[in-house]
Amino acid sequence: MHSHSVSSDDSRATVEQYVKWIQVLRKRGHTVDGIVLTEHRKFDFDKDYSELASQYNVVVLKGSELDTRYGHFLVYGVTQALTQDIDFGDVRMDSRALMQAARQHDAIALPAHPGRFGIGLTEYVAQGETFDDVSIVERFNGGSRPGENERAAELCDSHSLLGIGGSDAHLTSHIATCMTNFKATIKKESDVVEALLTKEFQPVWLDDTLNGASA
Amino acid sequence: MPYYDEVELGDEIGPVEKVATDDEVSNFCDVWGTPGPNRFTDAETAAKSGMKGGPIVPGIMTMAMMAQLLTDWGGPGSIKDLDLVFRQPVPHNRALTLAATITDLREEDGESLVECDILMTGTEGERYVGGKAIVTLQSR
Repeated sequence: MHSHSVSSDDSRATVEQYVKWIQVLRKRGHTVDGIVLTEHRKFDFDKDYSELASQYNVVVLKGSELDTRYGHFLVYGVTQALTQDIDFGDVRMDSRALMQAARQHDAIALPAHPGRFGIGLTEYVAQGETFDDVSIVERFNGGSRPGENERAAELCDSHSLLGIGGSDAHLTSHIATCMTNFKATIKKESDVVEALLTKEFQPVWLDDTLNGASA
Repeated sequence: MPYYDEVELGDEIGPVEKVATDDEVSNFCDVWGTPGPNRFTDAETAAKSGMKGGPIVPGIMTMAMMAQLLTDWGGPGSIKDLDLVFRQPVPHNRALTLAATITDLREEDGESLVECDILMTGTEGERYVGGKAIVTLQSR
């Protein structure tokens, strides 16, 4: 639900390397069904990964990770209309406006790594900011430092928020370190939005999938 | 040195623990032609440059440390490419862990290439530097 390919300036992994690495994980007994590419501050309308997805039997979907004045937000179900309403490159945008615009365009936006020291949503909540539209956050983030996922968990528990998991991979071998297990079958971006709205999902670590849980 | 057919996807190189001491950084800067005081060797200059945690390890020295991990494994001259992202300043006198994971193996233009992710981390989970490297190994 959260990964970066070389389309993001700070990643060194190609999508092909990710899907090949997933074959390694599968050989080790892990269950990994797909990935969502969430490139920084953009949405790659022109990128088509369907051939790779088919060749390696991995669902490859696209989303975005946007900078806002209240931390980073993951956006799923991005449409042309949403990108016309919201400037994805505006790093000072109000995340509340982003969340509302996303829903108006049948997309969904939620806080990434909310426990991150300095820039996570927990910092702003502690300052008294309120985010009434936040009902889901990235509870497990594979790029977190010790203590950050714990802060995200505390936020979830204290505000009755649901959590997803995302690897936040920037390197090939970091893909799928944590994931989201959906009850529904996910094949396209709109399935992700719908599944998030149904609230039938949970964050999982890679090792949680050894017993056949789907992610 | 391992042969190409001895390595597999997912194999680890390292981890190796290193510390860049004040003296080592200072010596590196002298050899590099950037003698102190500067943000690499002097706390006051580093603070003026916005480095809250004291003087930092030069990026080129960090890169050399990561390159050494690979050449200790693959042999002198084995590095074909090293592409790194510097995510946060590397401090002096702290334990640094260097490790790489093999992510691809391929033969290209008569060379046996090993591609790997490479990472320098700290004891508190800091990811100081990460990237990827391509190393050539001998085939039997």
